Amino acid sequence: MSSWQLYRPNDSAPWNTMRVVHLHRRAGFAATWNEIQRDVMDGPDAAITRLLQGRSYSNGVPADFEQMAAVIGDAAIGSNNPNRLKAWWIYRFLFSPDPLTEKLTLLWHDHFATSNLKINDLSMMRRQNEILRANARAPFRQLLGAVVHDPAMLVWLDADSNRKGSPNENLARELMELFTIGIGNYTEHDVKEAARALTGWSVRRNAYFENPEVHDDGEKTILGQTGRWRGDNLLGILLDHSATARRLAWRICNLLMGEQVVDDAGLDELAEGLREHDLDIGWTVETVLRSQAFFSESNIAARVASPLEFAIGAVRALECFDPPPSTLLLAEWAARMGQDLFYPPNVGGWSGGRDWLAGRYVVARANFAAQLAEGKLWSPVSEWDVSEVVERSGGQSSDPADVIDTLAQLLLVTRLPEASRSSILASVEQKKGTSHDRIRWAAATLLSLPDAQFV
Amino acid sequence: MLSRRSFLQGSTLLALAPTVPGFLTRSVLASAEASSDGRILVVIQMDGGNDGINTVVPYADDGYGANRKELRLRTDGLIKIDGEAAFHPSMRAAADLLDDGRLAIVQGVGYPNPNRSHFRSMAIWHTARFEQEEHLNFGWAGRALDLSRRTVGADAIFVGSETLPVALRGRRSVASSMLHAEDLVLTAPINPTTLLTGRGEGNDLKSFVQRTVLDSYTTADELSKAKGGDESSTRYPETQLAERLKLIARLIKSGLPTRVYYAIQSGYDTHAVQLPGHARLLNEFAGAVKALVDDLAAANLADRVAVMAFSEFGRRVQENGSLGTDHGTAGPVFIAGTSVVAGLHGRMPRLLDLDDGGDLKLTVDFRQVYATVIERWLGVSAQPVLDRTWEPLAIFR
Repeated sequence: MSSWQLYRPNDSAPWNTMRVVHLHRRAGFAATWNEIQRDVMDGPDAAITRLLQGRSYSNGVPADFEQMAAVIGDAAIGSNNPNRLKAWWIYRFLFSPDPLTEKLTLLWHDHFATSNLKINDLSMMRRQNEILRANARAPFRQLLGAVVHDPAMLVWLDADSNRKGSPNENLARELMELFTIGIGNYTEHDVKEAARALTGWSVRRNAYFENPEVHDDGEKTILGQTGRWRGDNLLGILLDHSATARRLAWRICNLLMGEQVVDDAGLDELAEGLREHDLDIGWTVETVLRSQAFFSESNIAARVASPLEFAIGAVRALECFDPPPSTLLLAEWAARMGQDLFYPPNVGGWSGGRDWLAGRYVVARANFAAQLAEGKLWSPVSEWDVSEVVERSGGQSSDPADVIDTLAQLLLVTRLPEASRSSILASVEQKKGTSHDRIRWAAATLLSLPDAQFV
Repeated sequence: MLSRRSFLQGSTLLALAPTVPGFLTRSVLASAEASSDGRILVVIQMDGGNDGINTVVPYADDGYGANRKELRLRTDGLIKIDGEAAFHPSMRAAADLLDDGRLAIVQGVGYPNPNRSHFRSMAIWHTARFEQEEHLNFGWAGRALDLSRRTVGADAIFVGSETLPVALRGRRSVASSMLHAEDLVLTAPINPTTLLTGRGEGNDLKSFVQRTVLDSYTTADELSKAKGGDESSTRYPETQLAERLKLIARLIKSGLPTRVYYAIQSGYDTHAVQLPGHARLLNEFAGAVKALVDDLAAANLADRVAVMAFSEFGRRVQENGSLGTDHGTAGPVFIAGTSVVAGLHGRMPRLLDLDDGGDLKLTVDFRQVYATVIERWLGVSAQPVLDRTWEPLAIFR
């Protein structure tokens, strides 16, 4: 596959700190200084393999992570407080040894965007989330089947009110438009016929139930294929359609590749590969992550960081692990920056990309950065010392220039422009307060730069 | 009310003038000379596909009763506009606006070959373009604002929790968004000088981010300098839309030089048990618009502001089996303000003369409405925005 040939370090794309930072920011949230050094030493093959195997984070990861996460998740459900379920997922982002799976889970939450605004049932939302996680790298057939047979999706898209003789097109339409082939590949007639095929899908006793009484078992013609189709036949027709592979290729590149980095030929090739590999998401992700294209200069810092990439990235890069900031507050800030977990804006999910920088979101990012640096994301307010992470990362906390360079390396993917560096340095040196305050201010300012909004 | 000049005199950017790059200082000063009496447009998106037939009801059309059995509104409860059309009973506030000469209604607005996907149809309304590739680019309002671009700060402000509408996206103009007044309060100790390493003009990602970040901080800075505008003698209903329009009124009254404001009212996707929900939505809509128009009148700003409300499509003429309606085609567009020619404009499509899909045939192309608003209200040429000329409607006096 010419667009996706294997990456081998070379003069124009050397394996260096920047590429390790890039790998972790895209495929995870951010690596700590130690994790970066380890991967620079071990080379791309080992670094990527560790990421794929869910062993890339070593700092801050509790030995009993899954057990802790389960306890927190159960307590969130028990409390019936949606904010605690959001905090549960934030805990996973921060502490799971497997950031790639968490990131893909978030991708599928966006793809199959379901909001608790309508579901209004935390255990249903969590169950869907676990399905997304368990199938995050599965063949897409398995993921799609699991999600659309799960009560959260059935309730979300009104499956129950889609009955023989009085169809509700909601599930049929979104299945085609958003989950599989995408707009432009079907007609209104296909939607109507697909809705007929889906009649009978419903929820009973909190589980999927196929109700033969309301199923329309007549002949339907969907995308040119005629038969007495049922819902599962419809899924098969959609999964076999070439546009589904193309859409998946696009979806995955949207996460792992920068804006306009992949051309049509690249997407076509990846789509073809997907079809040859039974729409296997894991294969696709690995192919992209190991590619020359992924590590090309044009793909580095080439898209806008999502709010969670920005926020979790900052917390991880600054090693705020013990104690970590309040996961409740982190979730609240992510929402303020435009990414409210379990409450996507509509069935189409978050529009993302440049939309992440709508005015108030930029202001929220800057305010978040200041709160983090000032210890206000902890309750009670923390006196955490940014100079510790500077020292741990090989910087001299007594030398302002070195502090800025060290923090910039942790917080930005690319080099800090010289003009910004010198003006921040001048401001730091003029600033009153303790050196501790000045280092905090420098960290907050770096995170407020346009340069810190890329990933 | 603060003038644009006093706004900028207090601006941190100018206070820091010696260290601010020359191009920026010059442009800030230049725009300070511009007048602050420009006209303002407030757009309301009735999201989900408003059932226009039960909003401005063609009660005298035989097709109404023929297609609406369960959802037919009783004639005696309607608020008559003329011998053919009437408001939904819960739109008393809109009828009051009409009676005062402050509401124009354009009927039968849509576009050829209607698309029934919410996203696609909304994208068409947002961009006034029909090619899918165009739907990711720029919106009609953003393109109009490109022609009268400010030098710094937001040209458009979206008030809401939703994603920034594509309609506001411009090549050079900048749209900002907020939900609460405090959303644009920068508590971070940002020193703008560290950020002013250049303001990208291109559309490449780096320029976009550079520009957007800088403009966001500048708008926040401007807002923090704007005092007043928060007292209001007008009583707004206690609804989400009213709350958002109240914030928009406050921003306008504070003297912000922004030209376009935008809010979304969701919930119009009435597939099932439509009657009670739709009545509530229309009541919320009419009440909020009237409060906004009244509030601005009390602040002597009425003649500077027009409000336009649209939905991505109407609904099927024939009701469905679950006491609701499915996605349809054309519907009414509302324009409110003291500068409108009040009353009905355009022609209501006939309910017994439907297209092959059993839907209303449009009578006014939505681009004709946009062209009118762009030229007659925002005062820029509509041709470059819409790629062709449209005969303006007689909506504005």
